[in-house]
Amino acid sequence: MVAEAVLEAATVRLRPLTEDDLPLLVRWSNDPDVRHWLHRSERPPSTLELEREFHAQRLRDPSSVEWCIETPDGGPIGVVRLRGIDEAHTRAELGVYIGEKACWGRGYGTDAIRRVLRFAFEELALRRVWLITDADNARGIRCYEKCGFVQEGVLRGHRLRYGAPLDMLAMGVLREAFADG
Amino acid sequence: MISESILQGKRVRLRPIADEDLPLFARWLNDPEVRYWLSMADGPDLTLESEEEWYEEMRADPATVVWCIETEEGKPIGNLGLHAIDEAHGRATLGIFIGEKTYWSRGYGTEAIRSLLGFAFGEMGLRRIALGTDEDNARGIRCYEKCGFVREGLQRAFRLRGGEPVNGVVMAVLREEWEREARGGDHGG
Repeated sequence: MVAEAVLEAATVRLRPLTEDDLPLLVRWSNDPDVRHWLHRSERPPSTLELEREFHAQRLRDPSSVEWCIETPDGGPIGVVRLRGIDEAHTRAELGVYIGEKACWGRGYGTDAIRRVLRFAFEELALRRVWLITDADNARGIRCYEKCGFVQEGVLRGHRLRYGAPLDMLAMGVLREAFADG
Repeated sequence: MISESILQGKRVRLRPIADEDLPLFARWLNDPEVRYWLSMADGPDLTLESEEEWYEEMRADPATVVWCIETEEGKPIGNLGLHAIDEAHGRATLGIFIGEKTYWSRGYGTEAIRSLLGFAFGEMGLRRIALGTDEDNARGIRCYEKCGFVREGLQRAFRLRGGEPVNGVVMAVLREEWEREARGGDHGG
């Protein structure tokens, strides 16, 4: 679905992702250093057509909502999404990446995730948000832990990276822990 | 999608689902003891219309394939399927239920899953089959362990059942584990 709200976080701003952002998504997701951490490492390079198709699918999907992450000076640097929003079981899955590598390690992802969690728990009234990430993604895991996520399991060989099986961590954060934190 | 393959086990047979099965599925899934363990536990009762809708969606979804489980007498007793089939990453998720309660705890589910794993790791060329179940589903977990699934994690308060949060267990079996098991079985006669 279309994100209706612009979410202001401490440093970044989350705004609806639009057609105009798609060329950026192509560039980001074709960057080898970005792809390395994504399921896309095993898929053909992205194209504008592919991104259009994915974008249209996500807009049609009532269980998915996404934002473009912008820095304080208005530059788009990445994407954050909730998908698999399940109203019956009040949970969703989080996906995030910072495509502008110059902005890695500056806390923008942490800031964006915290804001989306607040939206998920307060506006969407979810109880649980979870994610999976590569087990060797120390930078990502540290960021998720700062946001309140707890490791819940290791999915053995859950994905391939350049053809080799790779373990992924399952992490989750519950509303009450987020509220306390 | 609809499977074109019939998978023959010792006492069970997995065959493609047909339109005629839908009333039976609705009856099974509206049984409180059956749905207790399923994600629709708290949902509205199923109708023939909702089952037809599910059937159409499933048929159109290339990442899902479902079979009906039959006994050797040809009596349908449940269904099972693979979901979120991801060929690029060689994985899928297993879902199963036995809807005829008199067939519970008699090994039919175990045999059906073993037949499916042979197909998934063989013909389909997958590497990993995962599943999620309620932490307190001891009967299910025992069955999955017999089939080679290993516990990988505990997802806290993963779903609601009767309005209450229930922990979810994540389990998975890898192709090499399955093949080792199959070879061990042969050696053991």
